[in-house]
Amino acid sequence: MLILKAVSLKPLHGYGVLLRIRQISGNALAIPQGSLYPALYRLEHQGLIAPEWGQSENNRRAKYYTLTGAGRRRLREEAAGWNRLASAIAAALRATSEEV
Amino acid sequence: MFPRLRALVRALMARRAFEAGLTEELRFHIEQYTEDLVRSGVSPEEARRRARMELGGINTVKEECREARGLGGFDALERECRYAARQLWRNPGFTGTVVLTLALAIGANSAIFSLVNALLLNELPYTHPERIGTLYARTSGPQSSDTRRTIDGEQWERLREDVPALLTAVSAMRTSGANVRAGSVVQYVRAGRVSAQYFDVLVLHPVIGRTFSEDEDRPQGPRTAILGYALWQSAFGGNPNALGQAVLLKGEPHTIIGVLPEGATTPLNADVYTALQPGREGEGQAANFVAIMRLRDGPTWQQADAELNQALSGTARARRFASTNSGAQLTYYAVALQKAATDTLRPQVLALVLAAGFILLIACANIAGLTLVRMLRRTSEVTIRLALGASRWQIQRQMWIEHLLLACVGGAVGLGVGFLALRGLLQLLPEHFLPVATVPLDSRVLGFTLSLSLLTCILSGVLPVVATKNVDLRSSVGGRGVIGGASVRLRQLLIAGEVALTVVLLAATGLLIRTLIGLQTIPPGFNPTGVITAKASLDDIRYHDPAAFRKLLTESLTAMREIPGVQGAAVGLTLPYERALLNAVTLSAGKEAGQQVTTNQVYVTPQYFETLQIPVLAGRTFSDADSPDAQPVVIVNQTFARKFFHQENPVGRYLNKNVRIVGVVADTVLSSEARLNAGTAPLTREETIYLPAAQVVDAKLLSLVHGFFQPSWIVRTASPMGVPAQMQRALASADPQLPVSGFYYVKDLMAATLATQRIGVALLAAISSLALLLSAVGIFALVANIVAQRTREIGIRMALGSTIRKTMIQVGRTGVGASAMGLALGLILCVGVLPAMRSVLYGVGVYDAPTMLAVVLTLCAVTLLATTPILRVAHIDPAQTLREE
Repeated sequence: MLILKAVSLKPLHGYGVLLRIRQISGNALAIPQGSLYPALYRLEHQGLIAPEWGQSENNRRAKYYTLTGAGRRRLREEAAGWNRLASAIAAALRATSEEV
Repeated sequence: MFPRLRALVRALMARRAFEAGLTEELRFHIEQYTEDLVRSGVSPEEARRRARMELGGINTVKEECREARGLGGFDALERECRYAARQLWRNPGFTGTVVLTLALAIGANSAIFSLVNALLLNELPYTHPERIGTLYARTSGPQSSDTRRTIDGEQWERLREDVPALLTAVSAMRTSGANVRAGSVVQYVRAGRVSAQYFDVLVLHPVIGRTFSEDEDRPQGPRTAILGYALWQSAFGGNPNALGQAVLLKGEPHTIIGVLPEGATTPLNADVYTALQPGREGEGQAANFVAIMRLRDGPTWQQADAELNQALSGTARARRFASTNSGAQLTYYAVALQKAATDTLRPQVLALVLAAGFILLIACANIAGLTLVRMLRRTSEVTIRLALGASRWQIQRQMWIEHLLLACVGGAVGLGVGFLALRGLLQLLPEHFLPVATVPLDSRVLGFTLSLSLLTCILSGVLPVVATKNVDLRSSVGGRGVIGGASVRLRQLLIAGEVALTVVLLAATGLLIRTLIGLQTIPPGFNPTGVITAKASLDDIRYHDPAAFRKLLTESLTAMREIPGVQGAAVGLTLPYERALLNAVTLSAGKEAGQQVTTNQVYVTPQYFETLQIPVLAGRTFSDADSPDAQPVVIVNQTFARKFFHQENPVGRYLNKNVRIVGVVADTVLSSEARLNAGTAPLTREETIYLPAAQVVDAKLLSLVHGFFQPSWIVRTASPMGVPAQMQRALASADPQLPVSGFYYVKDLMAATLATQRIGVALLAAISSLALLLSAVGIFALVANIVAQRTREIGIRMALGSTIRKTMIQVGRTGVGASAMGLALGLILCVGVLPAMRSVLYGVGVYDAPTMLAVVLTLCAVTLLATTPILRVAHIDPAQTLREE
């Protein structure tokens, strides 16, 4: 979900995805580098992101990932699911003893 | 083919691109990260190190990426295949033995399956072959039978008129060799006589012209001919103007009315066809016609059978059957042509299939045994892999893949072996032996071979794979994988099974060999050495005149007797070893006086008995004095005399009222081919009467028998060099236009008569030698393995005082024991299986003691040879083996 979100903002290469996730989560979340690429390939295989070769900022060939239509849909679903879960947990944590 | 190949290439290309992309992407990642780290103040070296560290093992990442792509399974498979191939490559002895075993077994099977495919499975090359049938009759009663029937003229009329469900046609029983002259070209061809509608039954339409009309098929109808495509090409260069032209066939002009399409065949398989013109007279008096029929649209075979039986039950032949076999039932019915055409070969072919199946089982047992040993040797490898975390499924999959690889290679080599074996086999067969033109190696054979390979893979793989299930991690680690008693017993059982099947095959082969030897050593009743023979077709209008026939015989024989070195020359309608004309005579004396009996009849010239050196037992032989005008005479053979005159001397008695018997000669062997009563040996001695050729004065009879038989000229000479050419010249001096079929030594006739038996023996002998070889390899491998694996144990035994001899016996006992167990099992199997062979054995019982003894001795000898690896025990040095520990 985080990868999808990262890629949804703008096409990114693998390293970029890593940086972006770190940035948007305010350095709170860091994906282990070893699992990033398998995850990318899995998403690619599922058709959620599409790869494309392009030029990097320092003029090197790099593989950029873009979110596909299916990826956008999945991101929406997962975000909604996550929000539901988060609010449910938040509600649960707000509960007081009288309510039980 | 091409799209598939392209797809494969594309997949490979994509794969390479994928790998390159993956590498590049990861490198890019590391470099970017390194740069960022350097920018944040880390030293370049440290940065590079950290970048690598954080990514983790590059190969692990790559592997995970590959798996994420969904192709992980394929990659693993490819890796395992490669590993398996490497393993097999490293064990050339094992791999070679297994592949060779598989190749021989699968080769034998695919060669024999090709025959089955061509004979029994492939459809006959006609339109809707399932609608074409032929006539069978079933009789009940004391002599019940169920065989294909030929019909006479009256039966044919009934079949044609009274069976509306079928379109019927008849042909002569076989083709006859004949000379055809078209323009200036003369050729010796196979001429077939067929009725009108014969080609309609087969749905064969001439490329040009038409088929025979009803009018042309009447007795004494106009003479017409239909050419086969090949003859049309060779004689007329494929010129359509051939229609309406005349060809000289059997000395008479026939008008060409049609040409058959290229590649068209008929059950008769002739080069040129003439109208049969069947009637009730002449050949129509006896069952000389073969019927074929096509089921018309609408009725079913049941209806057709009912109509057939109804139509034929009123005929004279059926009434005669009813009067001589009271209480017995005669039922006519139709049988598919395919089944009928392969009827005689079917049991032989199926027996071969069974034998080949035995070979496959034996090969599987061998391979299972070898693989078992290999698996046990690899116990430590398996243990290590298990300890390193491989799942049992992974290890088993690895073994299956090795097996599959072996099976595929073995199958491919086997296909080659099968192809060669089939070519050899077909060369062994006489021409026109099989009812099919070719034995193709088609997709069905390929499919069969493939499934056979898979079957062997499974059969031989199950056991070893099950055995590795028992590998226990703890006890095997650090162990030396000493071969266990259980596995030796298992292998002994496998070998016993092999040996049992081999014993059955050997016994069957032995019985067939005994039969063949028996047949070959039947005293022929004459002296075949030094006799040369040639046949000529007298199925020619010029020789329908008995005077012309006599003149030809006299002139040609006179010329032949003048050839230097020739001791005698004669002509006979048929020779010993051949089938003879069957005809009826009326007995005039004794208890059976007035009774008609069917007997073999042969017309011969004077000197026939002298030339063949057939002993004369009583009376005299023929001389030139037995002329057409003199007293009609015959000579009978010993069997005839014994059968119809019992103890009395037949000389001076009469047959057919006025034909005097003037002599008795010894029996000669005859071919029983085409005899109606099945189950007789291929060579028999039967009642025969000989009549002087000069006294055959019935023109009709002469033309009839010459339609069936080509008489043989025989010459006895001490020096056969150059005699054939001189014989031909002598014959040409009497008639320059007489075609000669070719020259043979009479002793070769026996070989031709026994060709079927010989081929059967040769094939079965080849198969059982293969079985014996495989069993020997199995025993050899078992013993050799035990010696190799137990070197240490043997060393200890000998160090403790056991002698070499004792140890050898100890080790050899496993092999010999397995073989003995197999022998016992095999003999029990023989009791059940061999009685099925009774119909092909002549002059030898099913449980023939000498054969069985030979089988047992052969097996003992082979077993002893196969246990020779025990000799290696002698080279084991106890001190050294113990030091190696």
